[in-house]
Amino acid sequence: MRRSSAVGRAGFAPSMLFVGPFLLVYAVFVIYPLLQAVRMSFYDWDLLGMAREWVGGENYIRMLWGTDMQWDVAHLWLQRLLIVAAAAFIGWRATRSKSRFQWAGAAALVVLAVVLGFHPGPDGLWYDPLFWTSLEHTLQFTLMSTPLIIGLGLAMALAVNSKHRGGRFYQVAFFIPYVLPISVATLVWSNVLSPGRGILAEFLANFGVEPISWLGDQRFAMVAIVVTTAWWTVGFNLVMFSAGLQDVDPTLYEAAMLDGAGAWHRFLNVTLPGLRHVLALVVVMQVIVGFAVFGQVNIMTSGGPGNATRTLVLHLYETGFTQKHLGAAAAMAIFLFVVMFVVALIQLRLMREEK
Amino acid sequence: MVTQMDSSTPPVVSRHSPGNARARRRGRKAAGSVVYHVLMATVVFVWLVPLIWMLSMSLSTDESLRINASSLIPTDFTLENFRNAFALSLVGRWFLNSVIVTASTTLLTVVLCTLAGYAFAKLPFPGRALLYAVVLGGLMVPFEAVFIPLFTTVADLGQHNTYPALILPRIASALGVFVMTQFFSKVPKEYSEAAMVDGAGRWTVFFRIMLPLARPAILSLAILAFVWSWNDYLWPLVSVSDREMFTITPGLASLKLQWSNAQDLGSIMARGVVGAAPVLIVFLIFQRYLLRGITLTSGEK
Repeated sequence: MRRSSAVGRAGFAPSMLFVGPFLLVYAVFVIYPLLQAVRMSFYDWDLLGMAREWVGGENYIRMLWGTDMQWDVAHLWLQRLLIVAAAAFIGWRATRSKSRFQWAGAAALVVLAVVLGFHPGPDGLWYDPLFWTSLEHTLQFTLMSTPLIIGLGLAMALAVNSKHRGGRFYQVAFFIPYVLPISVATLVWSNVLSPGRGILAEFLANFGVEPISWLGDQRFAMVAIVVTTAWWTVGFNLVMFSAGLQDVDPTLYEAAMLDGAGAWHRFLNVTLPGLRHVLALVVVMQVIVGFAVFGQVNIMTSGGPGNATRTLVLHLYETGFTQKHLGAAAAMAIFLFVVMFVVALIQLRLMREEK
Repeated sequence: MVTQMDSSTPPVVSRHSPGNARARRRGRKAAGSVVYHVLMATVVFVWLVPLIWMLSMSLSTDESLRINASSLIPTDFTLENFRNAFALSLVGRWFLNSVIVTASTTLLTVVLCTLAGYAFAKLPFPGRALLYAVVLGGLMVPFEAVFIPLFTTVADLGQHNTYPALILPRIASALGVFVMTQFFSKVPKEYSEAAMVDGAGRWTVFFRIMLPLARPAILSLAILAFVWSWNDYLWPLVSVSDREMFTITPGLASLKLQWSNAQDLGSIMARGVVGAAPVLIVFLIFQRYLLRGITLTSGEK
């Protein structure tokens, strides 16, 4: 920008009239709390403010460690084998692309695979077994909901962006549940799934299926939460994919048609590559909201039955506000933040590589 | 777009003529279109059945629901449930709280983000790149990571169960600044420079040129902020202990123990409808802006 123009001379003080108010609020309500969360995680910090005592890394130890800890190769071998395989794949790609970022990713995965070999021995216990239960269920939720919601969103986007008129109308209709408050979405689904009077039970009765207490059965509760979440949030992905589809170059479809490519081949060779960018973005966003799942489980099942739907944020919330250990809860918040930060970092990298 | 044939006037053409083949093709297209719409309408109907069911129950008497709760049209039409929702419970109060909190949050978010977005995009002040990077970093800070210190800070100030406590922590939207910065950076600088030549100051340019240009982006952000704020669950849940101060989203959730009690299903559903109505109405009116806002937040457009 030319220095001679009045805009070019924008000084610090006058510009602060524009950014200052936001920066002030941002510093007070985002940056300060984040730093404070790190600090609190090193304290024994009681909810009622009675005890605020420095305990070093004890909250983290109590979260991640246990008594009589052992390390062996066989523990969680399948999961760890998959992690090592992922590391090998990324490492193999790194040797070709010479990307330091990929090397770091591969190394981090190897470290993770090694660390996951630790577990309490026969006479030992995790200090906080529920943390691991919650982590496992959070991963379960994320692994189930991400493909379901993305697949459904993509299918809907393709359906509403067909050559037929009226797609816009259907898109709006599919999107409606997304704007509902979570308490309404869960209220509706608690009733839909209710074995006594739910319309699902009524519908399945036509096929001779006995009423199932979806939310009260350990086998089904998480699936029920996933289905509710998919219904509630798929609209977001639909809109993202819709926008992505409109950016796919229509001449590519024409070229594919001339080559005699069928609908499936056009989807595989034109649509999907055209959506790569949106797809990467949506996967990352979905993983992040999956890790943060809270309202659905807190309202529909309170983490039950038998902790089957207890998730990280629910455990964090209860540690802080039911058991009143804000320091321990802060440590979990930092753990969550680090996980999400890593995922977001990968997103940024992917977006930059695409550009 | 495919031009659809008027099915009431089938073209009369002789067999084996080229026109016949074309007509058949057009006929197939029209048939394909009918199949598409029947299919889509069915899927949309099934998708929205839970909501239709809720609405139907909210308009039925509790007595009729005890006999049969699964009808998608009200069995014994009544508006009593809505009157009860406001008269016999805190729903009216929660609704009012939500209106106050959501209106303030939306207004403040839009003002702060628009001002900041304009400065980050158009005013090259010293330290701009660094400050913008710090703001973008905020996109990676989930609210779940900061609500505990926010809780203790507000508690130390003795401000829980107040409107400012519900509003202020939710207005610092890094995403909002990102959206507005993206928008303003696409406005050609010739617009403002032409005005500057005419002797307009920075604020004149902002109010007279930038704000009118930014109207669609501002509206998109406002609708998004409205929906986020109305649907906020975690923060009011931890910040409010006095039931009178709940907003409607955690308020309705706090009634969950009654959900399993089939005695007053109609009233429960009426409360749900009341809680959902404002966002649904705002969405249906401004759906174009909300859907565009969502693509804006991703930096896609």
